[in-house]
Amino acid sequence: MIKVARLFVMTTSIGLGLYAALASDVVLANGSADAVGNTSVVVAVRRLTEPQYRRSIADIFGDDIQINGRFEPERRELGLQALGSATLSLTAAGFEQYFNLSHDIARQVLDEPRRAVVMPCQPSALSAFDQACAANFISMVGERLFRRPLSAAEMNARLQTAASGTQHSGDFYTGLQLALSSLLAAPEFLFRIERAEVDPDNGDNLRLDAYSRASRLSFLFWNSAPDAELLASAASGDLLTEQGLQTQITRLSSSPRVQDGIQAFLVDMMQIDGFDSMVKDATIYPKFNQLVADSAEQQMIRTLVDLLVVKERDYREIFTSNDTFLNRPLAAIYQVPFASSEEWAPYTFPDSAERSGIFSQVGFLSLYAHPGTSSPTVRGIKLHEIFLCEHTPEPPADVDFSAVVDSDAATSRERLLDHMSNPGCIVCHQRSDPPGLALEHFDGLGQLRKFENGQLIDVSADLFGNKFVGAQGLGQFLYNDPRASSCLVRNVYAYGAARMPGSAERSYITAQIEQFADNGYRVPALFRQIAQTPEFFKVVIPQGAPDHANTASVQ
Amino acid sequence: MKNGQYVIDTLRHAILAAATSVILPLAAHAEWQRSYVIEWNEPAMFFAGESGIEGPGSDCPMGVNPEQNWVDVLVRAGYTQEEAEWLRNPANPTRNPSHGQNQMAFRGEGRANVYVNPESYPDPGLYAMTGSVAEGLNLDGNTDTGFVSPTGEPGIDNTFYKTLGCWKTYRGPERLSSGAMQFNDGMRNGSWTMVIVVSGEGNDPDNDNEVMVGFYMSQDNMVKGGDGNISPHYTYRIQPHAKYEGLFPARTVNGVIESREPVTATLRDPGYTRDLELLQAQVKLEMKDDGTLRGYVGGYRPWLPVYQGWVNARGPVIESLTWVELPAVYYALQRDADYHPEGSSDENTHISYALRIDALPAFVMTPDASEVATQVVSYKDQAPPLPAPTAPMIGRSRVVDGLVIDPNAAQQAGPNAVILPAR
Repeated sequence: MIKVARLFVMTTSIGLGLYAALASDVVLANGSADAVGNTSVVVAVRRLTEPQYRRSIADIFGDDIQINGRFEPERRELGLQALGSATLSLTAAGFEQYFNLSHDIARQVLDEPRRAVVMPCQPSALSAFDQACAANFISMVGERLFRRPLSAAEMNARLQTAASGTQHSGDFYTGLQLALSSLLAAPEFLFRIERAEVDPDNGDNLRLDAYSRASRLSFLFWNSAPDAELLASAASGDLLTEQGLQTQITRLSSSPRVQDGIQAFLVDMMQIDGFDSMVKDATIYPKFNQLVADSAEQQMIRTLVDLLVVKERDYREIFTSNDTFLNRPLAAIYQVPFASSEEWAPYTFPDSAERSGIFSQVGFLSLYAHPGTSSPTVRGIKLHEIFLCEHTPEPPADVDFSAVVDSDAATSRERLLDHMSNPGCIVCHQRSDPPGLALEHFDGLGQLRKFENGQLIDVSADLFGNKFVGAQGLGQFLYNDPRASSCLVRNVYAYGAARMPGSAERSYITAQIEQFADNGYRVPALFRQIAQTPEFFKVVIPQGAPDHANTASVQ
Repeated sequence: MKNGQYVIDTLRHAILAAATSVILPLAAHAEWQRSYVIEWNEPAMFFAGESGIEGPGSDCPMGVNPEQNWVDVLVRAGYTQEEAEWLRNPANPTRNPSHGQNQMAFRGEGRANVYVNPESYPDPGLYAMTGSVAEGLNLDGNTDTGFVSPTGEPGIDNTFYKTLGCWKTYRGPERLSSGAMQFNDGMRNGSWTMVIVVSGEGNDPDNDNEVMVGFYMSQDNMVKGGDGNISPHYTYRIQPHAKYEGLFPARTVNGVIESREPVTATLRDPGYTRDLELLQAQVKLEMKDDGTLRGYVGGYRPWLPVYQGWVNARGPVIESLTWVELPAVYYALQRDADYHPEGSSDENTHISYALRIDALPAFVMTPDASEVATQVVSYKDQAPPLPAPTAPMIGRSRVVDGLVIDPNAAQQAGPNAVILPAR
């Protein structure tokens, strides 16, 4: 008997428990051939992020579909939500949201004005079930939503739903709406389910199947579901060939939509989130409001995309470039005139502004600060985590903060020195604090200052013998630190493959880092470069799944 | 002072100055420039109440002008007691209350509309401010006439305050009179924005004999921060306006901007009049250490538009809510007016006035937003023509002769209206 892993066709009537099981682990069951007609193993399950969900719906049904719902919170692991998404499930409340969205979207898609656009056929009668037309629609839409063709069982389930709905309502499109809702609420849409199959060229190995490759490429480059051409390339097997893969990578990476894909990665890696819930003490930072928070987030994104995608500049310039974008609220925070009648305008900070790259923008500086003060420690921890892939352990449970809380010292540096007198704290603080102290000319909102409580602020720093002064010195230090570019390479791989490269891939990553440098540290080139490597599609059997020998031995 | 402390203070001042000034390549003559947005402005009404806005004080010994007994007012105007009580009864179920309210207009001689014909009605009187202290400017240069400022400066000319200072709309501590709050709320919520540009030709902004001060409109709204106050350092584009603009030749003395010569200017009035036309206009504004600007712009404004502004705000409503009879305002302004332009008749058509201004540091740009407005010049030639005058509006309602007419009402107010319903 062939031992295969397969996913059940699920309708929304199936309980949430199965969703949870699917997401938290790989659902494996004995069964016959899978959805695409081959034996396959589920090797990864990733929940769609909110932007991926929205982009997919827009690409499949149109930009004007309204998506009004709250999404489940994301989870970040090892610095990436892309890694966290591989461990996420759905709560009951979260599924309820997806369920409601599925009905709302299905209603909009099959509203009368849109039918002419989305329907590949006309039903023989509006009040009766037309099996052929329904099958045509479900097949077409299902392939885009599931990112692979529907299996016969999946198709039959939706046809039954549509037929039953038509019978009860007396309306063909009402029945079809129910079927579409079922597709939209299915785990095969809400989760990116990656499958491996036996490699025909090497029966001892598994390879990522063509549709999973298509999804991996599409979400990497466009942050959305594969388009028809990519699915066709998967269906024909072309994508499994070197030439076919290269053709699609070239097409995807040369599209303007690559900006969406790289932006999504940058937002994930740079942790540009949390602005919706950012809180500042209004008595200390009266200029702060939600408009400022939203603007700060946008500034970081616009800066990164312009520098790294539009201009394809050296990645390391994110630490030194003073080219950015401003809008009116941000100009007020930076205390510079906003010389434009547009909503956003390019701007270059003068040297006197003491800014240097992305970490010296209001977004980073305010996000990684306390509501009423700056925080050299938090900023330092995040600088290490985000840009150098160096994670700081949580403080011990019995840490004594009294020294820093009770300190009468005027500046953060002096307060932290009091704290550092605790030998249990110094190990981490000697690494986290110096970069943060270099940023102390920026208050908890990221506004330039020279004094704290009447004392001149010292922004010199010594990080294990590396001495620098202020944000500009820190920027130059990071620019020259090879850990920064290697961190980026590892993150691009992890983002696309949903797993951090392990020790087995050390030489591979090293080679990618060298090639990244050879290519002038260009991020779009790095995306192409990694997507072209077999390691990007490497299959790793998840823990708990049947081993490959069992899977592949019975043909 | 310790040397170290001196260094720190010097640095702190340098930073503060950098934050509130624009150090950019300036055009031909201006050596320095500062710019501001008016975040609050109100008629300069010195408040000396001892027990709240309505109570007595050295400014208004009898407190504010008292609430009227409108039934008595109507009876004095010739209505029967029954008619007066019926008109003032908002619960009257048979007729539109607004109709009853509108009928209040028709209490002049021959039931003329007192709002448009105030002289058809005897002066009902208005409590005047009788104190000796007033805020404002010495407009006529005479220190022997006028009030004394709260800081002891003689010769303050602010008859507007003397005339209306005991009207409860205007009376109150800074920022707390109902009129100031109403109009400044509107301004701060986006109804209009005025900016100020100050430029000088000398090397020391605090002491410069060649200074110009420009008041301009801006189409950019002020923005409130998390504390609910207007945030400083926002950018505002000058919006050329054919009417609202004021250019003041001035000097600075120890950081205080004072007019060198009076000018004619029209600003946006924080009141129903909208047009604050000022003759012999002057400024006195202090550039404060915290970067803000505070002081007065004053001059002689025509008094009749002030009265008409209140009438057009819907006379009966203003009278009921603010405890005055509008003809009293008319007579008081006419009586107290203290200026007329040269060459006109001897009748005083203008009244001395001061607007107290609080302004925050801001960046003010030329109309095309391409550069900081470093020169104080007129932009009127870039302004679109003023729209044709239209009937005054309150919200979406057209105001005619001080009244909002409901064309669908069964009964209309008027000189010949039948007041009591048929029995």
